[in-house]
Amino acid sequence: MLLVPRQLRRTGMTGNVPYYGGRFTPAQAYAAAHPRAERPPQPAPADASVVVAGGGSRPSRAEQLEALTHLLGSGVLTEAEYQELRARVAP
Amino acid sequence: MGPVQVLVIGLDQPEFTGEVLAELSRLRSAGIVRLVDVLVVARRDDGAFETLAEPTAMTPSRGELAAAVLGSGEDESASMAQDGLDRPRLPTWSLADSVPAGTTAAVALIEHTWAAPLRDAINRVGGVPLEETWLAPDDVLLLEQMMRQDAP
Repeated sequence: MLLVPRQLRRTGMTGNVPYYGGRFTPAQAYAAAHPRAERPPQPAPADASVVVAGGGSRPSRAEQLEALTHLLGSGVLTEAEYQELRARVAP
Repeated sequence: MGPVQVLVIGLDQPEFTGEVLAELSRLRSAGIVRLVDVLVVARRDDGAFETLAEPTAMTPSRGELAAAVLGSGEDESASMAQDGLDRPRLPTWSLADSVPAGTTAAVALIEHTWAAPLRDAINRVGGVPLEETWLAPDDVLLLEQMMRQDAP
């Protein structure tokens, strides 16, 4: 018999723990949604194509979009999350 | 009912070994866990899932309960994509995230009967679960070593 898998909510044994299993944590989602906020220097990512120029300075819109596209392509973001965050990137 | 764990095990042969079943039986006798249902699935190369008959009946429902819980019988992906921004953004998963194409897996629903009183006690005092995970094997090894050192 064919079975179409259903999307199930993740939960913990003791309740709805904030389990993200490879997804954004609230802190990461907030940071991504507020690109102007000061952030501590991050270690260089393995993929040099998404390195943000300027060290701790604010990345350009194009760089932010490129980073979001990378996150979408690597499966970190869903299409819906990508579109939502993309809309928040300052013009 | 206690918390129910979904355990997805990739298998070369679509059956649990007798050793695994014996251990689950022992844990049930001890009031620790209860094997609610087992579903065996094969994922075709095109990504579609098929349920397989159990070689041996491990539970009375023979996978029907698990299939009903884990499968919708209709394709949700299109509707989820359409209303993605409106749907509550809860972390979700499905068998499609876990079982690679071209493989077979046994999916067990295991009730942790021991955990129900603990969960209820946490709820009664207003406790809020903030994290729940397992220690990695290396960290368990480290823990064991430290416990041995502390032992009298």
